[in-house]
Amino acid sequence: MSGTLSSIYNNVSFALNLQMEAMARLQEQASTGSRINRASDDPSTAFRVLGLNSQQRSLENYMDNLSQAISILDLSSHVLEGQGGMIQALVTAKTSLTQVTGGIFAEDPEGRETITRGINEILEQIVSLANTKYTGHYVFGGSNSTSAPYVVQRTDGEITSVTYQGSYENRDVEVAPGMMTSVLYVGEDIFRSNNRGDPIFLGNTGAKPGTGTSSVRGDTWLTVTFNDVSGQYELSIDDGATKVAVPPGGDTNQAVTDSQTGRVLYVDSTQINSTGVEMVRVPGTYDVFNTLISIRDTLRKTDLPNADELQTNLLNSLDEVHKLLVQNTVVLGSKTGFLENLKDSLQKLKYDAEDEVTRLEEADIAQIAVDLSRYEVLYQMALLIAGKLMSMSLLDFIR
Amino acid sequence: MSSYSIGISGLSAAQKALDIVGNNIANAATDGYHRQRIELTPAYASQIGSLFLGGGVDIAGVTRMVDNFIEQEILRQQSSLGQVSKELAMLRTIENLFGELTASDALSTTIDKFFNALQDLCTDPTEITWQSEVITAAETMAGQFRTLGQFLTGLESQITLEAENAIGRVNALINQIAGLNDDIEKIEIRGGKANNLCDQRDQCVIELSELIGIETQTREHGVVDVSIGPIPVVVGSTIIELEVGLDENNRLGISPAGASNYNTDMQGGQLGGLLSLKNKLISEIRDDLDNLAGVIIQEMNQYHVQGVGSSGSFTELTGWVNASEDLSDFSTVSAGYAYIRVTNTSSGAVSRTAIPVLQDDSSDTLTEIASFIDGADVANVSATVNSSNQLIILADEGYKFDFLPAVLPEPEPTPKTLTGTDPPIITVSGIYTGTTNSVFTCTVADGGAGDNKIGVTDGLKLQVSKDGEWVKDLYVGLGYAAGDRLDLGDGLYISLSIDVNNDKTAGDLRNGDNFAVKAWADTDTSGVLAAVGINTFFSGSSALDIAVCSNISSSPGRIATALGPDMTDNTNAQRMAGLKDESVSGLSGLTPGQFYHRLVTTIGQHVLVKQMREDNIAVVLKNLANQQSDISGVNINDEAAQMLVFEQMFQAMAKYLSTVQSLMSSLMELV
Repeated sequence: MSGTLSSIYNNVSFALNLQMEAMARLQEQASTGSRINRASDDPSTAFRVLGLNSQQRSLENYMDNLSQAISILDLSSHVLEGQGGMIQALVTAKTSLTQVTGGIFAEDPEGRETITRGINEILEQIVSLANTKYTGHYVFGGSNSTSAPYVVQRTDGEITSVTYQGSYENRDVEVAPGMMTSVLYVGEDIFRSNNRGDPIFLGNTGAKPGTGTSSVRGDTWLTVTFNDVSGQYELSIDDGATKVAVPPGGDTNQAVTDSQTGRVLYVDSTQINSTGVEMVRVPGTYDVFNTLISIRDTLRKTDLPNADELQTNLLNSLDEVHKLLVQNTVVLGSKTGFLENLKDSLQKLKYDAEDEVTRLEEADIAQIAVDLSRYEVLYQMALLIAGKLMSMSLLDFIR
Repeated sequence: MSSYSIGISGLSAAQKALDIVGNNIANAATDGYHRQRIELTPAYASQIGSLFLGGGVDIAGVTRMVDNFIEQEILRQQSSLGQVSKELAMLRTIENLFGELTASDALSTTIDKFFNALQDLCTDPTEITWQSEVITAAETMAGQFRTLGQFLTGLESQITLEAENAIGRVNALINQIAGLNDDIEKIEIRGGKANNLCDQRDQCVIELSELIGIETQTREHGVVDVSIGPIPVVVGSTIIELEVGLDENNRLGISPAGASNYNTDMQGGQLGGLLSLKNKLISEIRDDLDNLAGVIIQEMNQYHVQGVGSSGSFTELTGWVNASEDLSDFSTVSAGYAYIRVTNTSSGAVSRTAIPVLQDDSSDTLTEIASFIDGADVANVSATVNSSNQLIILADEGYKFDFLPAVLPEPEPTPKTLTGTDPPIITVSGIYTGTTNSVFTCTVADGGAGDNKIGVTDGLKLQVSKDGEWVKDLYVGLGYAAGDRLDLGDGLYISLSIDVNNDKTAGDLRNGDNFAVKAWADTDTSGVLAAVGINTFFSGSSALDIAVCSNISSSPGRIATALGPDMTDNTNAQRMAGLKDESVSGLSGLTPGQFYHRLVTTIGQHVLVKQMREDNIAVVLKNLANQQSDISGVNINDEAAQMLVFEQMFQAMAKYLSTVQSLMSSLMELV
């Protein structure tokens, strides 16, 4: 027997609850603009949305890191090739040196001294550039960014040596999932050649390269003296601090060590026939600083017998470090370009992720409006019918 | 005179029927009321010859309109609905509290931000801004974990309390049912019909079924027995009361009062829902959350204990408070070694010592570990264990210590066979990138007899083997410039220099000379440092107590970002940041983020499934209720029609009596 009071009540309240719940859900979707407001709305889609949101945050972080990496690399490039940068300074140094080797100031001591002072200023400038900071941190010290990578020693106010005290590890940073890139470079990799050639002896003492592989770098001054007591020639590469005696008849591979650096120069001493100071240059081992120091000091040595030859070789040294810096500028530039492209790619990935999230989450407002009006009609209908059924019964007709 | 009795019986029957109609209409809205119907039967009067004459109408009884099958099914569905509704309500609350997809600081966001902050720190591990960001992000994440952990724990307490209240109501209903059974039986055993009492009793049974799943059995004289699970709680008028409590596994269960024999698997009703929530649903969610927090703590600490931050090595480290000092009580400690590095701050000399852990009877307690560190094996460092089982390590004046896996600047082990007249100095540098502790052995080969000079002897080489297997040759003869770095592999370098400080002018090596370089990927193979809180980043072990160690949050420079010997690298920060994308076996092979996303969607799935279940049961229940209403409910129209019938019957019977009276008067006039 359908139509009992309780069944009418059950049916009406069930229907009204259904419509109310549906309308509340639609209203929430309309007000948030999202069809998924909690995982239970659609668990599998929610899992994707959570993953995509996480991916977006991660990509954003990568892009921040990339921006910082690009800024540091831009600064590093600027140090090398920008206005007032190292390459420009080396070009100036080369021009000055050419004026000497070209003879303009060859016989003009004051002019030479002016140029020498200019070279010294360039050296100061370059050391300062090598110790450039980005937001308080040194950019050419590798992973050690808190202390100045290049430390100088001075005599009478002038730099006599520049020593690298930074780290030999690059500062690597993850800039994309699984992709590491160096942000802070090891200064030694940027400012020093690492393509060792055979030593070239530029002097008249008769000393020749030994058969061993020397470990001295850049320009080394080999001093050949004669010991009146022992009657032997003596060799030194540390300004006489330590001396090695040439055995009678000489030695084809005599080790001469620098007591300060521990570096060794192998000398064929069999043909040494006179004393003197001989420049030994090792192509492929120059660094920017010691090259300039060497140029400055050589320009001051006016009494060298083969000054022209030396100056020409100094130009070669300068060319070597100039070429090194240009090469490294290209490396830094292409790294920057690569990172810019990577950033664009990550940006695109982020946009894609955002689009995907929007697509998955976004509520269809038009559909919601249609559904809402449908449920409204159903709700009103349920109320109306309930009212009718409840209000009308046989009792109305019993008189 | 039978005509009078016929008329009176008709009048009486119609009046009683109208009473029942009135009673039905009066109870049309009464919960649990079953429509009643009067049963009328013709009354036998007399036989005259072959004629059987009726004697009016008898009231055979008043029947409750009940379909027992439907009633049973309603009880069952009501019970299921009670359970599902309770589960759904709680799960909804949990889902809302997790707040994923709506809240901006939900746990997934804070986890991401923490690992992203670590990644930021990689760009500059010495920068205080990044260090502080890591601390803030870590504290926010830990706070979010604790909020959720405490909420779930609070929810479990609330469930226990709610279950205690519900069981009180269950016991009250059991008593009511038994009492009503007794009353019903007394009436019906005398042949009466206790319809209204039955309705009351059945209403109690329905209420009971909403609280817990029940089985009922109807016996003679209207008595209904009730069982809850295996417990016969009502048998006639006797009862067994129940209690709730926690069993030895902290699982909520129901037991006969005083028996403490808890059944944790009761189904149905609100109590079934509460048991299921406490013992399974919430328990699983909390376990997963604890597991996630525990893995993040453990993995972070495992890396953190081995590194150092921008503030460098330590002069003192104090572990956290431990419940036991017996290392076998620590689930994460296994037999292995912790390697301590001690540095003389004046000379820079570094030594490394292996601390045995669970190797034998003398290395299985914290005190024994402290004694070893305190003893002669580890010079210039002392250690103690206090009454709270905290391990405290102290460096002597002028010394510092750490657990860095950095290679020592000189090859290890110290004894090496360099037999040349003026052997070179061997220096090791770099940061090992391998994943296991290994030994690189370099053996001199291809020189001539006697001394061979580095940089001079043609073909002189070092044969490099890693853990006994050849990996490469490094040429140190002609072509090698003394002092230059040679790539040993896996991020390590060696260089051979001339020992000018001792007035040597050559670096002499002889065939067969060898030295070993120990490369460290893990300086705590036992896990003891992370387990006892030495140089850890997080403290705690679960979502409830995860926190950033106070000495780290007060001194961000202690965040152990570096592993290299110069302590300026970001290798450890990278390792820690890399945890974000690391599949962890303890998290079912998922990354922390994926594991958490799965947890959130699992809760969502539970909610969705329960919601669908509730909807389905609600529909079934509505249909059953309609069906029940068809049989047992009061239809006003029907009752009105009945009322018309019996009203007319009454009027007709009155007319009949009037007619009989008239007949009798006429008859009397004849006399």
